[in-house]
Amino acid sequence: MKLFQIALAATLLAVAAGSAATTIEMSVNGLVCAFCAQGIEKKLKKLPATSEVIVNLEYRLVAVLLKDGQDIPDPDLRKALTDAGYTVKSISRSETPMSDVRERLKQRQP
Amino acid sequence: MVRFSSGLFAFMAAVAPVMAKPIAYADGTTVMAEYGAGTMEELQIFYAPRFDYSVGGGHVDFISDVDGHTEHINYARLNWLAHRWNLDDSQANVFVWGGAGSDTGSRFDGTRFAGNAGLQVDYETRRVYASLKSDLQRSSEFSVRIDTLQLGLAPYKHDYGGTATWFLFQARHYTAELHSGIETAALLRLFRGGAWIEAGITNAGKIQAMAMFNF
Repeated sequence: MKLFQIALAATLLAVAAGSAATTIEMSVNGLVCAFCAQGIEKKLKKLPATSEVIVNLEYRLVAVLLKDGQDIPDPDLRKALTDAGYTVKSISRSETPMSDVRERLKQRQP
Repeated sequence: MVRFSSGLFAFMAAVAPVMAKPIAYADGTTVMAEYGAGTMEELQIFYAPRFDYSVGGGHVDFISDVDGHTEHINYARLNWLAHRWNLDDSQANVFVWGGAGSDTGSRFDGTRFAGNAGLQVDYETRRVYASLKSDLQRSSEFSVRIDTLQLGLAPYKHDYGGTATWFLFQARHYTAELHSGIETAALLRLFRGGAWIEAGITNAGKIQAMAMFNF
């Protein structure tokens, strides 16, 4: 029994260590200037579950990296962006690291 | 009288960015200073509890280049974003504002109650900008309306974290015999992060400048 408990704990630890943090990507309308980006970044960084934010005007993209084990429900994300003065078109979630999001945006830059 | 100290201007230039809006973003403070070719000098400070309104105040001096008379107005103001259109690649806004304050001037003694009201309509993409603003200041001794049109083009699309560059044409008309005819100006606007600075020259060869900082 004790061996089973140790094995279970080890398995859970391994799974936790291997899991990637969730990245949320939002397509946002009205993103045309640095002030827009600044306001959105400020709003999202105030949410306790936010670890990192990327705002890209070219692709009208707002990406949020969540803290481990935390989440921001879609209605809360939409409210945060609406309260900042912008309109969310779509929301998607993945385990893509923010570095990959940055690299993808960099490669797509005209 | 507002005299933009070199220290303030240097500070604003150092932190220096598309369009002067009375509301930048929710929970944001906006400081704006304008030197209007020697005819108008204005300093404004606003705080926006939400994205659609801000409260604050300002001071504006008018110096007539027709007869030299001056007016000095302190005011408190509420700015309201009446409507915003968030489109795929553009944004359009209608702002209105109103407030109250005091007026002193060279053509009368004492202080008068003054009211102010205004409207701004703007449209912006990352390459094109247009705005039309009308600002009214009125007391029992003085009344002026300043209408300002700005049309801008950006030579490239900037992104967050980079520096934006805009070339603008400005046309302005003052009532109250502050300036005869329509004043036009060619302006260069730069912004980065939460700050911008713009400067240029009018058709009369005078300096037109503005700085804004959002934090």
